[in-house]
Parts: sequence; structure tokens; C-alpha cells
Amino acid sequence: MSAAGDPGFKGEIEITKDLTLPKLLVQQCEKYGDSKVAMREKEFGIWCPVTWKKYLDNVKEITLGLVALGLEDGDKVIMIGDNRPEALWTEMAAMCAGGVGVWLFQDCLMDEVKYIVDHSDSKFYVAEGQEEVDKALAIRDSCPKLKKIIWDDPKGMRHYDDPMLISLDEVMELGRKLSASEPGLFEKLVNKGKGDDVCLLFYTSGTTSLPKGALLTHYNMLTMGQNLMRVDPCTPSDDFVSYLPFAWIGEQMMSISCGLQVGYTINFPEEPEVAQANVREIGPHVMFAPPRLYEQFTRTVQVKHLDASWTKRVIYRLGMKVGYHTAELKFEKKSTPIYWKLLRFIADKVLFSKIRDQLGLSRVRHAYTGGAAMGPDHFRFFHAIGVNLKQIYGQTEIAGISVVHRDDDIKFDTVGTPIPETQIKIGDDDEILSKSPSVFVGYYKMPGETEKALKDGWLYSGDTGFIDEDGHLVVFDRSKDIMILRDKRKFSPQFLEARLKFSPYIKDALIVGHNRPYVVAIVCIDYNTVGKWAEDHGINYTSYTELSQIPQVYDLVMRSLSDVNRSVPEAAKITRFANLYKEFDADDDELTRTRKIRRAFVENRYKDIIDSLYSDTDLLHMETNITYEDGRVIEIKADIRIQDVKEGGKK
Amino acid sequence: MSYLPCGQYFESYLDDQKWWRTPFIKAKMIFMLVVVLALPYLVASEWLSVFYTINYYILAALGVQLLIGYCGQITLGHAAFVAVGGYTSAMMILFIPWPTFMVDSGLVYPISIICAGFTAAMWSVLFGLPSARVKGFYLIMTTMAAQWITVPLVITQYVSQIGGRGQSFSLPPGLIKIGPWTIDDDVKIYYFSAFLVLLCLLAMGNILRSKIGRAWIAIRDNDIAAETMGVNIVVYKLIAFFVAGFFAGIAGAFWISALFFVSPEHYEWFYSLLWVGIILIGGVGSIQGIVFGSAFVVIIFKLLEMGVLGISEFVMTSYPEIGWVTTKIIFFKESAFGLAIIFFLIYEPNGLSYRYWQLKNYFNLWPFSYTGK
Repeated sequence: MSAAGDPGFKGEIEITKDLTLPKLLVQQCEKYGDSKVAMREKEFGIWCPVTWKKYLDNVKEITLGLVALGLEDGDKVIMIGDNRPEALWTEMAAMCAGGVGVWLFQDCLMDEVKYIVDHSDSKFYVAEGQEEVDKALAIRDSCPKLKKIIWDDPKGMRHYDDPMLISLDEVMELGRKLSASEPGLFEKLVNKGKGDDVCLLFYTSGTTSLPKGALLTHYNMLTMGQNLMRVDPCTPSDDFVSYLPFAWIGEQMMSISCGLQVGYTINFPEEPEVAQANVREIGPHVMFAPPRLYEQFTRTVQVKHLDASWTKRVIYRLGMKVGYHTAELKFEKKSTPIYWKLLRFIADKVLFSKIRDQLGLSRVRHAYTGGAAMGPDHFRFFHAIGVNLKQIYGQTEIAGISVVHRDDDIKFDTVGTPIPETQIKIGDDDEILSKSPSVFVGYYKMPGETEKALKDGWLYSGDTGFIDEDGHLVVFDRSKDIMILRDKRKFSPQFLEARLKFSPYIKDALIVGHNRPYVVAIVCIDYNTVGKWAEDHGINYTSYTELSQIPQVYDLVMRSLSDVNRSVPEAAKITRFANLYKEFDADDDELTRTRKIRRAFVENRYKDIIDSLYSDTDLLHMETNITYEDGRVIEIKADIRIQDVKEGGKK
Repeated sequence: MSYLPCGQYFESYLDDQKWWRTPFIKAKMIFMLVVVLALPYLVASEWLSVFYTINYYILAALGVQLLIGYCGQITLGHAAFVAVGGYTSAMMILFIPWPTFMVDSGLVYPISIICAGFTAAMWSVLFGLPSARVKGFYLIMTTMAAQWITVPLVITQYVSQIGGRGQSFSLPPGLIKIGPWTIDDDVKIYYFSAFLVLLCLLAMGNILRSKIGRAWIAIRDNDIAAETMGVNIVVYKLIAFFVAGFFAGIAGAFWISALFFVSPEHYEWFYSLLWVGIILIGGVGSIQGIVFGSAFVVIIFKLLEMGVLGISEFVMTSYPEIGWVTTKIIFFKESAFGLAIIFFLIYEPNGLSYRYWQLKNYFNLWPFSYTGK
């Protein structure tokens, strides 16, 4: 299957093997200078603008500062911290100096930081503030290659006088000195770069094993961004909000690959806690987020709808009926009768535009979801309220994206068709293979893994899927996750989990059923929503653990399970379930940092519960450990109730 | 926090603090302005006096709102300062031998308004001095003292005697002149009042978002904390009294344009109470509240008056034998106002502006009932 799409879009640049991200940055800065805002950061209540010229000046100073500190070609610069302009400056600076950028998730625990810093041979560690500096100081003895730790937020840093530490301001000061003594050095460094040079070392989240570092070149990043924008062009006047971790390829793809090429404005929220409110202020034109964010949106709407006054509820219900119906017609590519169009128009003015406004999606032209599966109910919901939500499929190894929905051709059970210059085919064992200019060059220091993933320029994804009659790619699941039901049918646990998550009360779920007599589920309730529900119904609780085990909560969850059961094949119906006494957490290694479930690990960890689900017991006594974010380990004891799903399922 | 639609962001504090931050607000304000300008053509002429009375109450209650609602200094003697303004303006017009060209070009009245503002402001500061030492109930007593000293004593016994005209200063028609315009009919009084109200509300709004306004609010919320933060509370309280007095002076000076004579009975203590009532009904600590409160009180009075008159007339013509009843219901108006305040304090303690805010929120939050998660 090969690509279809526009060959060019307005403002498209020519990508040669000579072009690099730094060269592009210099070009854009020359083009826009002081006349256009490159990025904004919200500080003390207002959006402080940084023009393209200022952007380049800062990058230049940091680049030369890093060079003055001893950065050489191919040296790794590892970065950790919130999304903020300084983060992007240092990343660009590392590339300008011929180095390679590496990103860490900000909430990484010490062991993960140590592993990645050590494995990537990083020479510089750029931290945001005290918390990240502390992590670096704790691991530096086991990472001998680390030379300098750079920080930029002075809060709490007053009494740190370790010789290894240096502030970003000092680095920039070094840069200014070097610039004065060696004018033209920056331009020389930038011009030296080639498109095939590695610019980013990206550690994949790794649902199964230790993180692997994918090496991506300038050419990879640039072609990926260009091919995506050939499908959905962006304009320089667009706004984008950067608040998802930079260590996620999707954020790199929007901020660097697309942002730099088209020159739209990147906005950084004040603090992660207020990111959602800040996004609403900006009202981005483009957004790309993992499904959990959209799931959170729907959950918010559902819960707030239930709490609204009677009139508002009635109007919401009527409006949504119109929305769902017209969205359904659009999905089926049928023409919409004029009276439905009129109703849709009224509903849009009265209801949908306000919902979009509340969610901060008023100006969104393209909203993408990717990185994990999203349930069809969420898709229907967003198209009902008039948000152009589209699925993206890709891997870090292909610089983020290879397949996307087209505006007029959205099917919520597929991920769309390949972007230009990209080929997709189905290999042996139904494995999805892809080939494009954006395919990475290999894993860092893992030739064996590289060999497995890259054969003849084809990227072996490890995902199972097929191409449907419309030429859309359907991603079934990770090959190793697919379960065989009792009627020998193949089934995707991810599909069921995504369906379950449409219930506002369910945050996560684990579906088990491979080679088993029936399908069972371990459910993590949503503490906020279920907590609110319990309060409204006069049910007392003191903790997540207690709340999750209340019989009424079990019945509440069971209703959601029954709803899902009604629309799945007999053998795939969820028959028994248990509420987990805690949420799945990346700190416990149950999820990856991008919140994908690490199935094998979780199944092993909750083996006792799964065994009880397949036995006749109704109660299981558990004693287990929970790891907190600061590394503390707490032992908890809990009794887990096991319950049958009454209707819809059969034991 | 005020509500802003999605996609509305500001790159500088200047933009962030603008009066009209969204096109919607701009449209709303322009619409309001058009209504204010077109009002004389929209309502029957007998209602115009109602509207300029509203405007007079807005101007007078502005200072009360400032002192009580924004600076936390309870005042019950505001009519005294309005009286000072009214008398200053009237006496300047009547007693100063102005050169003819100034009288002809209509400069006398405008000058007297400004002087009235300053005189009333200084008078207000004088009675604001005790606020450096006393708070709450005790301050109520000292402001009441301002009323008793000013109106029944100084004005009635001394000022009114000037010129030997007896109790009141009569203002012959045609005397009140601003530039080429003689303020001699209801339409002109209305426009003049509307202009002053817009000007004063604008001034008030701007002062409140300045350093001074923030200091007042700090004093209102917690004077000890404000002082700890470096706010010189005595100075700022006196500034509050000054500004409140200034607004009162302007109100007083304006009101003489609607009167045929100035006499102490226009400034009875009842008015001091009424204006406090207005801000309680409208909403303490809200500029819109002054407008809502004044409109509510004046219109309710007008309606009650019409009702009482209607009933009286009906009784007199249909059942003349029980005509004595009409003398008993004549004071319904005042008691109904008292009742209104009681009901407001019980059922709407935050005033009309709070109700307005809730109404706006109802639509801003549509289709939900709260923001956040």
C-alpha cells in the first residue's frame, strides 16, 4: 500500500540531504526576524513573547556556551524538565553544535534516569531546577561520562555549589564570550551539519523490556513533518500549545518537525497543573495528544453534564442526539439531508460551540490522537461536537508518524492511510511493515535489536494489523498481546479496554482472556469521578482502596461493563471482574511513561487476582507494595472482591 | 475571575487590564451607550425625571460604595457631603459677582461643580480623620456626627442665613448654564446626568484598578494585614474619604440643576441611609451594584407611588365614605422600602450584582454548571 496526498502545500520547503534543523532555524529566523513571535511562555499571568530573532540569539549563545564547555560532534546532551522555551533552546543548541539531543520524562525515577544517562553516554545533563539537579547529583557517580549539569530555574539552587553544576545563564555568558573572540563560529558549526547526521536519540517507552534508544536524523525529522503537513497543512499564524512531555515523539514532531518548518507559534503553559486552563486560553489550531487526554475530555464533559441543571441537561441530550446522528452520517459517507443540516447548525450554535469553548477546542482545525488505541465511542463523541479528531499511527522509529486519517475519510476503527512518501504493507504473521524517508537509522548500541526491526529499509513494527477494503490500515494490537478466545477467535484486549474507558468511572482496565475459558477484567476506577458519585449518593470512604471495594461501586462499574458486553461477540464478553485497590502507575512500572499498559508485567504482578477471577472465590486477601513518586515503598493489605458481570456475560 | 472565551490571550499587562477585552464586551458596552443616549426618545417624558434621579443616586451612592464596598469604612453621613457640594455650587453661582463674559459663556456652573467637588472632599476628609483611630460601629457614629453637624447645624443655622433669604436659596430658571446650553428641561438634565455618571463611573473604575484602589481593597479585606504589607492605612483611608467626598460634591452640584431651590431638607439623614440601602440592594463592592441598586430603588418608589396614587384615586371616586383610608396608605412607600431591604438582606445578601453575575455565569458555563474538572 502506498501513499496518497498532496505533493505540496503552501509554504512547503525543499528538503535536501544537506538541510538540517539548525539550518532551517537560521533560515526561519532570517525570514521572520523580530516581526513574528516564535514562542510564548505564560509567566505571572501573561503570555511573554519570544520573537524568532530572540529565539536564534538564545540558541546561539547556548550553542557556543556548550562548545566552550567542551561539546564535540556527536556528544549527547540529555534534557529533563517541564516544557518551557529554555528546553527548546537547549535542544536546538545541542543540534547546532553538532551534538545529539536526548530527552527524559520528567517524572522518571532515579533508576530510569541512571539507565538512560549511562546508556546514552550523555556528556551534558540539562535540568530544569532543583528536583532534576538532585536526580543528576544522585546518579553521577555511576555515570562517569557525565561532565556538566546545567540548570535554568534558580528556585532552591542558592546553596548548590558543586563544581559540576552550572547555570544556563552562565553557559550563555560563556557563549557570548566565545562569540566575541571567535565571530562566525556559530555559522560555521551550523553549516557543518548534514541531513543524515543523527540529531535525536529517542528512548522508546518499551512496553516489554528496557528502553531502546532510536537514532533519528535531521532528514528523518524534516521529511516526517513535511509529509504530515502535505496531508494537513499548517500556517505560520497557527498557535500550538506544547505541554506534553518532550520525551514523547509526538511533541517533538509538532514542536520541532512541523513547528520549525512552517513557523507557527509554540506556546508554553505556566505550570503543568494549569496546562489545561492555559490551553483553553490559547485555543490551539493543531493538537496531537495521546488518547488519555481525549478520554479525560470526554470524562470531564460527561461528569459536568450530569451535574448541570435540568434545562442544560435536556438541551445537551437533545443536541448530542443531533450531533451523533450527523456524525454517523459523515462516517458512513452518506449525504446529510437538509433538515439534519439545519438541526446540526442550531445544535452547533447552542451547544457544540460552547462545549468546544469549554474544552479549549474552539479553534482546533486538526486534532490528532496517537500512541495508543482509542475507543470508537470517544471518536463518535468528538465528531458529534464538531472536533476534527483523527487517528495517527506511527512509532518513534519512524520519527513519529506514518499513517493518518484524511479529513473526508475518517473511520474510527482504522488509523487511516499512509502519509506521502510512505509505504505500508502487511508482512508475515500480519505484522505491519512501513518504509519511508523518516525510518530511523538504528538503535543506539543495540545492533541485534536494530537487525530485528530494520530489514531492507522496512521497519518491522511488532504490531498486528490488516488493510481494509477502503485501503485503511487497521491496527489490531501489539502482536504479542493478541488473545485467542475460547472459540479460537483472535481478539484484541486493547479494543475492549479502550471501550471500557469511555465510562467516566473507569480510568484503566486490564483485560485477560488468552487461552482461557472466559474473559475477565481488572478495573481501576477513576478516583475523582467515582469519589464524586459516592459523595452524591451518601457513601463514605477514606481512600482509593476503600472506595474501590464498596459494593455499590462494583455495581456501578458492572453497569459500564454490561454496556460494553452488549456490543461484543459472545466469547469476548467480560464475565468476571475485580476493582484494583490502586491505579496503574508508571512509577510501579505498570505503565510506560506514555501511559501504555505493560501487559506482561501487570499480568504477572496481579497473578493472584487473575487466578481468583478464574476460580470460585469471591474475596481475595492481598498484601503488596506501592512505590510513591519519591521512591518510598509502602506495604498495603487489602481484600479484593471478585464479582460476576450479571447481564450480558455468561460464565 | 472574569470569563474569557477560548483563544483569548494577552501578551502584555496592558492588554490584560484593558476595559474592553473581547469584541463581545465591546458590543455590549456600545449597546448600553446607545440605550443611554436614546432613552429620552424611548420613554414617556414623565419617566425622564425617574432616570435622572437614578443618575443622581448613582453619583451620590458612588462615594458610599467606595467607602463601604471598597475601603470598608462604614459611613452613615454621606448626605452631608452632598449638601456641601450642592450649597457650594449654588452659592458660587448666586453670590459671586462673576464677570459677564463668564456668565454668558456658561463657565460659572462647570467651575462651581469642580469647586463643589473639592470643598465636599475636604469636608469629607475632615470627618474621615477619626477613621484613623476608630473602626466599625464607632466609625458609623462619627460619620453620623458629620451629618448632624453639617446639615442641621452649619447649613441650617448659619449657611442658609447668608443673604437673608430665609431657609432656602431659590434658583431662578435659566441660571444653570453649561457653555451655550441652558439646563432647563428634563431631557437636558437627563443627558447632563448621564454624562456625569459615565465620567464618574469611568474614574471610579480606573482608580480601583490602580495602586490606590488595590490599597483600599486590601484595607477592606484586612487592615492589619494591609498595614503589614506596607500600606499606609491612614493615608489611604483619607484618600478614600477625599475621593468619596469629591463624588458626593459632584452629585450635590449636579442635583441643583434639577431643583428650583436648595434647602436643608434635600439633604436629610434619610438620604444617607437610603444610599447605604442602595449599595446593599445593588451589591457591596461592585460598581454595577450602584447602578442596579439606584435603578431598583428609584423605580420601585415610582411604581409604589403610582400604585398608591391609583388606589387612592380609586377609593376616593368609588367609595368616598372610606376616604380616610387613603391617608393611612400614603406611607406604604417608605415601609415597602424598609421591607425590601429586609428581604434583600435575607434572600439576596450579596445584592443584585451577584444575581447578575450568576446570570452571566449561567450562560458562560453553558452547557455545564461549573468550570474545572
